Amino acid sequence: MPILGAVDPLDRLRCAGKRVTDPLESLAQSVAQHVVDLVVHAVDLNALLRQVDLDALLARVDVNEVLARVDVSALVDRVDVNEVLRRVDVDALVGRVDINAVAGRIDMDALVAQTDLGAVIAQSTGGMAAEALDAARSSAVGLDGLVDRWVGRVVRRRHPRPVAPPALLDAAGHGGTQA
Amino acid sequence: MSGPARGAGLETMQGHYAGSVSRTAAYVIDAAVSSGLFAAGLALVSYAAQVVTGSVIGWSRQDVLLAVLLAAWQLLYFGYSWASGGKTFGMAVLGVQVVRADGMIIDPWRGVLRALVFPLSFLLFGLGFAGILVQREHRALHDLIAGTAVVYSWDARSARLRFLSRSRPSAAGDAR
Repeated sequence: MPILGAVDPLDRLRCAGKRVTDPLESLAQSVAQHVVDLVVHAVDLNALLRQVDLDALLARVDVNEVLARVDVSALVDRVDVNEVLRRVDVDALVGRVDINAVAGRIDMDALVAQTDLGAVIAQSTGGMAAEALDAARSSAVGLDGLVDRWVGRVVRRRHPRPVAPPALLDAAGHGGTQA
Repeated sequence: MSGPARGAGLETMQGHYAGSVSRTAAYVIDAAVSSGLFAAGLALVSYAAQVVTGSVIGWSRQDVLLAVLLAAWQLLYFGYSWASGGKTFGMAVLGVQVVRADGMIIDPWRGVLRALVFPLSFLLFGLGFAGILVQREHRALHDLIAGTAVVYSWDARSARLRFLSRSRPSAAGDAR
């Protein structure tokens, strides 16, 4: 009984099985490697890639996610901007820009208020003389309106009258009458 | 000769009928300038005659020839100015311009006609000018006859830019 108690019959069975499976596993790995080599040599990968729908594949890629991982600063640091600019055809680039549309978006009043452009205009258009002329004209226009309103009250003008001749009204694109 | 008057619609008031004060001020300037030029012309003629003949030419206010010359000079001054550009010197200073009644650039013949009938507005104590005050389009008698009107033509936009440029430093100072 003591002898039988020291020997595990399952252990002997496991040892026997291992002696059989190890060579088989090695054999299977060797066979698989040969098979893969054969398949790779047999398959035309270029032909296979031609059949892949890259658009569909790219459509499934989250480009923003990819770009989020890109260190743009490091990328830009590696770019020679001067070299890039030397390759740019500036004339062709400017030719594609609608300058009038760009100029139309400019708020001239704000621009003049924030820059010295107004000073340049003032210097280029006569300085003191232009200032005096503007003042005289503005005063005259103001007095014109004052007299007109006063006369309108005296003669009890009831019907609105045109503010400008028809052609100038069309050109100015404004209302047309005043009381 | 048949486009809208130059610079229409740039800013408020441009192209509007000009009022009585602007037109009167323009006329006062023109009267002074044309009279000054006429006097200078007479002085030049007198000097030239004195140099050539040695005798002094005297001009009298009652001289018919002088009156005819003055009338011809005024006609030339106003007629040429209105026919060539629609504005006299005084009108250019005040920023007003003569246009056709419909707003188009004035035809030269209308400018001459306006100068010819202009004296009619002085008759009956200047009653012809009353139209500038009460007529719907601020047109005087000579405007109605010649088919013209007077509008503001000055470049108010440039004036606005100049105004902004002048007011900018003071505005910045106020902010401080």
